[in-house]
Parts: sequence; structure tokens; C-alpha cells
Amino acid sequence: MKTTWQKVGKVILWVVLVCVAVIQLFPLIWLVDFSLGSSNEMFTNGLLIIPETIRFDNYVKAFVDGNFLHYLRNSVLINTLAVLLVLIISIMAAFACQRMKWKLSGFVSTLLLLGMMIPIHATLLPNYKIYSTIHLTDTLWALLIPYVAFSLPQGMFLMTGFIQSVPKELEEAAVMDGCGIYRIVFQIITPLLKPSIATVAIMTFLNNWNEFMMASTYLSTPTWKTLPFSVLEFTGEYSSNYAVQFAVMALTAAPAVIVYVILNKHITKGVAMGAVKG
Amino acid sequence: MKKLYSNKLVIFSLVLPGVLVFLFAVLAPIILSVYYGFTDYSGMGEAKWIGWENYAALFHDSAFGRSLLNSLLLAIGFICIQHPLAILVAAVLDKLQGRAEGVFRCIYFIPNVISVAVIAYLWKFIYNPDFGLLNNVLKFFGYQGKINWLSQQNAIWSVLLVLIWHGFGWGMLIYYTGIKNIDPVLYEAASIDGANWWTTFFRITLPLMKPVIQINVTMAIISALKQMETVYLLTNGGPSNSTQFAANYLYQQAFKSFRYGYGNAIGVVFILICIVTTVVLNTVFREKQDA
Repeated sequence: MKTTWQKVGKVILWVVLVCVAVIQLFPLIWLVDFSLGSSNEMFTNGLLIIPETIRFDNYVKAFVDGNFLHYLRNSVLINTLAVLLVLIISIMAAFACQRMKWKLSGFVSTLLLLGMMIPIHATLLPNYKIYSTIHLTDTLWALLIPYVAFSLPQGMFLMTGFIQSVPKELEEAAVMDGCGIYRIVFQIITPLLKPSIATVAIMTFLNNWNEFMMASTYLSTPTWKTLPFSVLEFTGEYSSNYAVQFAVMALTAAPAVIVYVILNKHITKGVAMGAVKG
Repeated sequence: MKKLYSNKLVIFSLVLPGVLVFLFAVLAPIILSVYYGFTDYSGMGEAKWIGWENYAALFHDSAFGRSLLNSLLLAIGFICIQHPLAILVAAVLDKLQGRAEGVFRCIYFIPNVISVAVIAYLWKFIYNPDFGLLNNVLKFFGYQGKINWLSQQNAIWSVLLVLIWHGFGWGMLIYYTGIKNIDPVLYEAASIDGANWWTTFFRITLPLMKPVIQINVTMAIISALKQMETVYLLTNGGPSNSTQFAANYLYQQAFKSFRYGYGNAIGVVFILICIVTTVVLNTVFREKQDA
């Protein structure tokens, strides 16, 4: 008796998991499916279509006319720079606030963490004004500065927690050997922070990779625009050719999805660590 | 050692970049917002000081009220629909062993790594009355007729659906991690005592997950308040403000209606609401933990 119940339980368990997986994934399958057909084939009564001919030329159009490579390059460059800056700045500040002895350490640390509560989008209007006054719009800085600023609090928070757990004896030994503070921070502490560095890097990347609100506010020329713009700008151009629009969406989503699937164990761990502590 | 660790110059150099970024990118815009909030600046020309007029107008602005109501609806949607489902799926997933566990976990999170731009446009197509996926699904199950998912009545629910769908994997992953951190000895003890799955779930998993649930609920409420990007692309707050959210509204007021001053006033109130909500939630949950 018990075994049949266990079997039923197991079936229910699988049904639930598969249902949720279908709900999460089906829109994306639909997207890829329709991106391989022609626009006329979309007016179907079925859920999915079997394209008469598989039209890879949709992707060629999306790749070329969507400026895919250019936007991808910008995204990779800006996000890598943002991650590096967030890491360096947050390790330095967290170390100074956590380990060094000065009166304002608590105040400065709270100040930097305060950024977590500020809604990014409330700064869109004044920042636009500031950037256009000092001619930062349409430059790399217009994205880099706010991306770093709004990922910094979380980085700082995580780094502070991790630096706390590094045993002080290590530093004491280093000081005995005549090590300066900078060498302690970058040559002794930083290598010990590897897992937390991964966490902060992943969180920063996830936060900023798909960002487009600031990009579309602070940038007007395509020079520094990022990957989401291949979708945003493309839809106007090909407003009646749905299949090509689907192709450009699938193409834009692809890099992040591929990287995620390959690194999914690490990313999962990073997000879990970051989110539970943050 | 002590001398080395209290060297003012070194401390200053370590903290300076962080403080500069904060001053320039967070504090300066907020101060500027406070200033423009008191003016009738349109975005061009002169800014005239008008005192509290913007705030008085905001107080009677029904679109802003609607934005806050929508944030509340979204928060309720997250907490009452997304999170229970996420906890349940996480608990079920935890029971699974081997490859399948990793595969499902990976699948559930995939929508989260996709750009909001893609998600919003994709769902625009899914809601399309002529060839959209959702109407086709209904047809597949025998329902004839076309539903206009983005009409004034339906739009807000359609927006909520997208947001709940998109964020599901994130919530699930965090609950999943929380469950994984529960000591397996407790489950063994329960199964020796003959507890079934439900009892174990309600008596062991849920109570031990309380801190994780509190963190997740806090984050859900905050993100419901801050929602902008999906709405901006999917409906842009329309039809007639029925899907408006605060961030989107202030943006529209400043850049579409050329009421830059008013937009900043909304921004100031918006920041205050976010800070107060965060502080209140943290205090409430901390007190509960102590009790």
C-alpha cells in the first residue's frame, strides 16, 4: 500500500515540476520557433508552427541590421569595466571601514550602503541634467558611473561580511614582515575573497547586463548603446516583419542564456549567496 | 600595527573612490531633484521657484495614487501567488535527486537572465489578439473568441502576470537555497517518526525558512515599488494610466509632458516611500525575530 502511494506521490511531483518548466520555457520555445518561419505563417491556429522552409536569413538580417556585434561589444566592455570597478572600490572601502581604525568608519559604511534603498529610476531625471550639463551624455561614463554606483552598495555589503570572516592573524603576520596596507589589501586579503568576488561579479553582471532605461536616457547616438538596443531599435525598422523581430529577440537573449547554461552551477551559487546575505 | 591601521592618508585613499561615486551618482542627483521639485521647470528655459505647489498637486494626482495601488497589487501578487508557488516548487525540487534536480533548477531561472527588453516585446506578441500565443492556447483548449489582454480592464493583470512569471526563478532559487541549508538530520528524524511529506513541509521546512521568507518578501515589496522597465516597454503605463507605476510616471511627466519640475517632485516622494518602506519592513521583521 505504502509503495503505491509513494509511486503516486512521485508522479505528482514530476507533473508539478514539468508543468512549471513548460510555463517558464514555452514562451521562449515559441519565440525561437516563430523566428525560423515567415511572418505569414504566424497566423496559425496551432501553438507552434513547422516552418515550410527554415529561414535562417531572418537571423542574418537580425545580425546585420540589428548591429548585433557592435552592441554586444559595448555590453561586454561596459559590464566588464563595471564589474572590475565595483570589485576594486568595494574591497578597498570595505577593508577601510571594517578593519582600519578611524572615527567615521561606521558613518561612511552606512552612507555607502544607503544607496541600496534609493530607487535607481528616481535619479534618471537629475542625472540626465547633470550629464548633459557636463557633456557626459553619449560617452562611456554616462553608463559606467551609474552602473558602478548602484552595484556598489551590494558589493560593499557582501565584501564587508566576507572580510569580517578573514582571520586577523594573517594580517598581523603580514605587518610583522613589513607589508604596507595596499599590499595587505590586494595581495593578502583579495586572494582569500575569491568566492565572494565571484558572487559580487555575478550580481553586478546580472544587474547591469540587461539594463536599458539609463542607456536610453543618457545615450542618443549608437556609439555606446548596449545589447537591449538591438531589440528596441529594430522593432521600429521592421515593424511589419514579425519573424525577423522574433529572430532579433532570440539573438539578443542568446548570449546571456548560453553563458548561464554553461556556468549555471556557479551562477546559481553566486546568486544564492548574494541574495540571501543581501 | 596600530599606527599602520590608523594612517589617515591611507584610509582616505581607500575610501575616496567609493565616496566620490556615491556623492556624484547618488547624492548629487537627489539634491538636484529636491531643488527642481520646488520649481516649474519644463526641461528648457528658466526654472521658477514655486514652493510646495508640485507636492500639493501630487497629493491630488489620481495617476500617482494609481501607481502606488499598482505597486501594492504587484506586491500582493508576488507574495500570494509567486512566493507560495516558489516555496512549493523549491521543496519538491529538493526531494529530487541526481541530474534532473540541476536541469529543472537551470530551466526555472532562464527567464531571469533574459533582457527585460526581450521579455517585454515577447509578451507583447504573446498578448497580441490576432496571432498571440495566449489566445491560441485558449483556442487550443476550446475557447473561441479573442481577448484583448492589454485593454484598460485587463492590462494591469496582464502586466502582473509577466512580472510574476519573469521573477519566479529568482524567488524559487533563494527558497531552494534556504531549504538546502536545513539540516537533513531533522528530515531523517521526522521520517523515523512517520511524518508524511505535508507534515514535514509545514512543521519543519516552513518554520525553519522564516528568515529566508522574510528576506524574500522584503525584496519582493521593494521591487514591486521600483518596477519600471517592463511596464515602460509593455504598456508605458497605459491605457489611461491603468498600469502606471511611480518610476514610469515620473519619467513620463518629465520627458513626455515636459513637466520636469513635477517629475522631480514625484522622484523625491518616491525615494522617501522606498526608504520608509525598507526601514519599516526591516524593523518589523527584526522585532519579530527577537520576540
